[in-house]
Amino acid sequence: MTKNHWMILALAPLFAVLLLFEVLPLLAVVLSSFSRGGSWSLGNYGELIASGYHRNAYVTSAWLSVLTTVIGMGFALPICRLLQRVPSGLQTMILTYSNIGANFTGFPLAFAFIIMFGLSGSFTLLLKAAGWIEDLNIYSIGGLVLVYSYFQICLGILVIFPSLSAITVEIEEAARLLGVSRVTFWRRIGLPILAPSLIGAAVLLFANAMGTYATAFALAGGNAALVTIHIGELVAGDVFSDPNLADALSMILVVTLVVPILVEQLWFKRRGRHAA
Amino acid sequence: MRLDPLRLGLLAVLFAVLFLPIVAVGLNAFAVEWAGSVLPVGYTWGWFAQMVADPRFGQAVGNSLILALGSLLASSLTCVPAILAAHCYYPKLDRLLGGLVVLPYAVPGIVMALGLLRLYAGNYGIVLTGSPWLLIFGYIPLGASLYYMPMKSSLNALAVQDLLEAGYLLGVGDLKLQWRVILPCVRQGVVIGLILNFTLVISEFVYANLLVGGLFPTMQILMYVLRGGSGHLLSVLIMVYFVIVLIATTLVSLIVMRRKEAL
Repeated sequence: MTKNHWMILALAPLFAVLLLFEVLPLLAVVLSSFSRGGSWSLGNYGELIASGYHRNAYVTSAWLSVLTTVIGMGFALPICRLLQRVPSGLQTMILTYSNIGANFTGFPLAFAFIIMFGLSGSFTLLLKAAGWIEDLNIYSIGGLVLVYSYFQICLGILVIFPSLSAITVEIEEAARLLGVSRVTFWRRIGLPILAPSLIGAAVLLFANAMGTYATAFALAGGNAALVTIHIGELVAGDVFSDPNLADALSMILVVTLVVPILVEQLWFKRRGRHAA
Repeated sequence: MRLDPLRLGLLAVLFAVLFLPIVAVGLNAFAVEWAGSVLPVGYTWGWFAQMVADPRFGQAVGNSLILALGSLLASSLTCVPAILAAHCYYPKLDRLLGGLVVLPYAVPGIVMALGLLRLYAGNYGIVLTGSPWLLIFGYIPLGASLYYMPMKSSLNALAVQDLLEAGYLLGVGDLKLQWRVILPCVRQGVVIGLILNFTLVISEFVYANLLVGGLFPTMQILMYVLRGGSGHLLSVLIMVYFVIVLIATTLVSLIVMRRKEAL
């Protein structure tokens, strides 16, 4: 396979686009996050760390993401187990429509929830009539938890389902013949087999929630105390425009997302090598 | 292991809940009046007619479709040959490509948009902001993984090196081998990539709003504009968007099912 070096031409356009529209823009953000008033400085980071306003947004984004990741995984795993027992045609259909759910974000999703849970939404009225709630504010953080949970569950179903094929009927039946209880089966066999894919899925869901902008913006406008919303405000807002600060905040966000991914990758590579 | 009725019922309820938001928007699109009651007071085609008659509607749908078409052309022409060449001839570059295409999963859209704004808003003498071209090229890195994943799963199941060797023995060149042998084998992966990429482009808001905004209003931008109104027009627009996505998704579903049968 030595003679075909002109095949590199087929790769050139994509690599050029990835360089110009992915790698260089990111580098520009990195560089400009260290620039303040035209000179190199850590001042942007210092200001962010000192600012209770931005720290608060970071903390809110983090716990919102952790909470909706737990909710997403908690619903998606049992749903996937049920799905395993459904005929394969129906399975494909349900999975494809979960794909719609996972992509059903931004204005369409936010507005759907406003119709259902807004001030005079159907469910708000029903829940109030039933006496379950006194007040419901879909535009609050609680509303964000509800809306995020929707697409987190859908995304969870999409990413968890393929990995469940590792728990085959044979394994389950073998365990049952040996008299292993359901709880013991999951604790000693099921979860250890699935652990790598489940942790991978959780990392993806966390990144997904942490990086969500359109849905939060559509629901709560520029008022939500979330990292992505603050970045948007710093870029395009009328009041708080400070592009370099937006870059520094973006870098903190990216590091928060990249570190779990790297840890997960390294951890399972090491474990994989030991197992081999 | 079949499902007992109880579990089947549970699954049905769960998916009914997942479909509720769409039903709510659908009802609101046709509701004469829906405030302070659990279900709408009456139903009408009026909002639908009003929305379709609005010149902004035609413009937004047209812009979204133009953008989707341009994006599909640009992304398929760059991604498909590169993925094939990397897999067949350059394993090292293939690993690099694999890393680059998943990067957008770790870097949120708002951060990527910020980077594009840094680079193409005139700071370096290039102004692309305000032009749909920036979206067309900007969406390629976001969509690359949508081609990469399904194509790689087809390619990995294929004895590519054996096929190429066999072709060389018969005196067939690489270009012809790729076009006549390898590409047809991964055809379905390409089609899945195209359809998912289409959904991505017409659903995308962050780039569209921050980089181009009102200069080339897409359906998502019009949703943003309509958010303050009665909500009925917005619901109609969301339903139109949703039907478009539904058609695309159904196509993927059919292709995936055919692929399973073929295996």
